[in-house]
Amino acid sequence: MPRPPRAGRPTFGQTLSAALAETQLRLINITRYPGQMIMEVVIPIVFAAMPMFLGRAAGGDQAAVNFEANTGTANYVAYMLIGSSVFTIVSGAFWHVAYWIRFEQETGTLEAVYLSPTSTFTLASGVALYSVIRGLVTALIAYGLGCLIFQVNPLTGDLWLALLFILSGLVPLYGMALIFGAVVLRVKESSAIVNLMQWVVSFLMGMYFPVATLPPFLRAIAFLFPPTWMTNGVRSALLGVGYFFDAWYLDLSVLWVFMLFAPLFGFWVFNRVERSVQRNEGIGQF
Amino acid sequence: MSGHVLVDQLAKTYVTRQRRGLFKSETKEVPALRGVSLEIKTGELFGLLGPNGAGKTTLIKCLTTLLLPTSGRAVINGFELTKDDNAIRATTGCMLMGERGLYWKLTARENLVFFGALYHLSPRDRRKRAEDLIEQLDLGEIADRALESYSSGQRMKVAFAKALINDAPLLILDEPTNTLDVPSARELRAVVRQLNDQGKTVIYTTHIMSEAETLCDRVAIVDHGQVLAIGTVPELKASLKREAVLRIEGVISSRASQAVAALGGVTRTAVQAVNGHTELTVMSANATILLPRLIETLTEHQAVIQKIAPEEVTLEDVFIARTGRTLAEDTRAVPQS
Ligand SMILES: Nc1ncnc2c1ncn2[C@@H]1O[C@H](COP(=O)(O)OP(=O)(O)OP(=O)(O)O)[C@@H](O)[C@H]1O
Ligand SMILES: [Mg+2]
Repeated sequence: MPRPPRAGRPTFGQTLSAALAETQLRLINITRYPGQMIMEVVIPIVFAAMPMFLGRAAGGDQAAVNFEANTGTANYVAYMLIGSSVFTIVSGAFWHVAYWIRFEQETGTLEAVYLSPTSTFTLASGVALYSVIRGLVTALIAYGLGCLIFQVNPLTGDLWLALLFILSGLVPLYGMALIFGAVVLRVKESSAIVNLMQWVVSFLMGMYFPVATLPPFLRAIAFLFPPTWMTNGVRSALLGVGYFFDAWYLDLSVLWVFMLFAPLFGFWVFNRVERSVQRNEGIGQF
Repeated sequence: MSGHVLVDQLAKTYVTRQRRGLFKSETKEVPALRGVSLEIKTGELFGLLGPNGAGKTTLIKCLTTLLLPTSGRAVINGFELTKDDNAIRATTGCMLMGERGLYWKLTARENLVFFGALYHLSPRDRRKRAEDLIEQLDLGEIADRALESYSSGQRMKVAFAKALINDAPLLILDEPTNTLDVPSARELRAVVRQLNDQGKTVIYTTHIMSEAETLCDRVAIVDHGQVLAIGTVPELKASLKREAVLRIEGVISSRASQAVAALGGVTRTAVQAVNGHTELTVMSANATILLPRLIETLTEHQAVIQKIAPEEVTLEDVFIARTGRTLAEDTRAVPQS
């Protein structure tokens, strides 16, 4: 006989198990859409190829030299591929969280999971873990494949440091994504906001260019944005374009400061919106 | 672990925005629950009977923590609503929106195991429980196919199984037979009965009178967000004992039924369209005296009488006696500005 439900607080193991069940559910779910996974790997390569060819057309023979003068590396292929691969992770975080809320609102499953004693924070963590796995796998394959196609060596620079930048950036990233999820929960719309958000994000994080080329006002905003530090950290570690603070550990600490605040802030915002939705029309309304 | 529910003056007012042209909008208040009080004892099979828009789902959503009530309080399984919500969730099994609320890309088994995890069952217990439910509800043949390939009735069954995953002492079912055909609905009611016999408290909402009448120990009749009457089925019927019910079938114009309503000795009338003819229900303290005059009035108004008979009092008559409407009528609360 299964044990009767224990009222009150679940153990840490039970909470972890619930979060992992959410992750697993989502992973099972994407395997039922195989075409999408292939598309996902191709898109970042196409995104990187566009500015590469534009650069070759505009810069001519001197393209690499000019590029090095402005960015600190002549390897514009890897530069673009890093930009688009990191962007894949960042936009994935927004998409997956937004899509989780919106899709489940529509299918009624959001209401169904709310009926259970598993907290939103646990569920959101499960979704984030799924999103991280999906984003990292896609980004790594896309970067490797892209380097292969355009014949540059992907294994340059300090790979471990690059990975550390990515992993450190993930925590604040999902904190931000949660705020975004709260917006979706409230306005009950996702596609339009995510689409708009994607362009803003790619611009601010410097997907194709160093943020130093942005006008001062936009640059200031870009620096408040964790993915900017992620992208530049990876580029510096792999291609040596130069850290914002001239030392890798200083840039990394900035991400760690974000790491402390962004998730807490994100969850606080989400909780408030959740409560207000509960007070009005209820979680399940769509 | 109780299965006891106490609801005290629970009220819920929705605030909605009504669009008035492109930029103008105004807020409207929809009072969906106006102070509901009731007590459900451990082990009861309790029915909430009311027409569309009566507020049944709103009440259920409040009790299952999906909605915050505007005022009032409730204690569910010994836990105070809004203070101990997680404990309430852990000790309640719910089926709220029929076949919605499941992952259609996943199989029945995957769905059940997933929800088992959310109710904090151990990995082994989840699988075991899912297996037991699949067997109990006779889902074996389809359990490993994605839900999108199921019929709507089969999905309803999975939704019902989901409500049982945590083996909770309190089961809350919101119109669980809504899209089921007659045999499947009967089958589901039999399982509900069985679960109730095993000691589970069940709250069962429906707008179908016969369902409440045959299934439930006690019934609350709800209308316009209020409990109109509450009691066992015999008790509710006995409240009408002194009145007789006459049911007339045929072609009856509204002028004719109005004329009947105006007759002396008629306490209540209600009109309902059934299979292309009209069914007129007339309540009166003394049917024998009324009958000749009733027939006279109807024929005077060119009504065609196909059948006229004194009827057993049903729960629907109880509803008619209190509201002057049948259960089939939609009674959505009108927004108040
Ligand atoms: N989100 C909402 N915003 C505004 N009004 C609502 C909302 N949800 C329900 N209502 C209104 O509240 C009233 C009660 O609705 P409810 O869904 O509780 O009725 P019900 O008894 O479950 O009806 P049914 O038998 O059709 O399911 C109705 O008038 C309905 O229009
Ligand atoms: Mg309802």
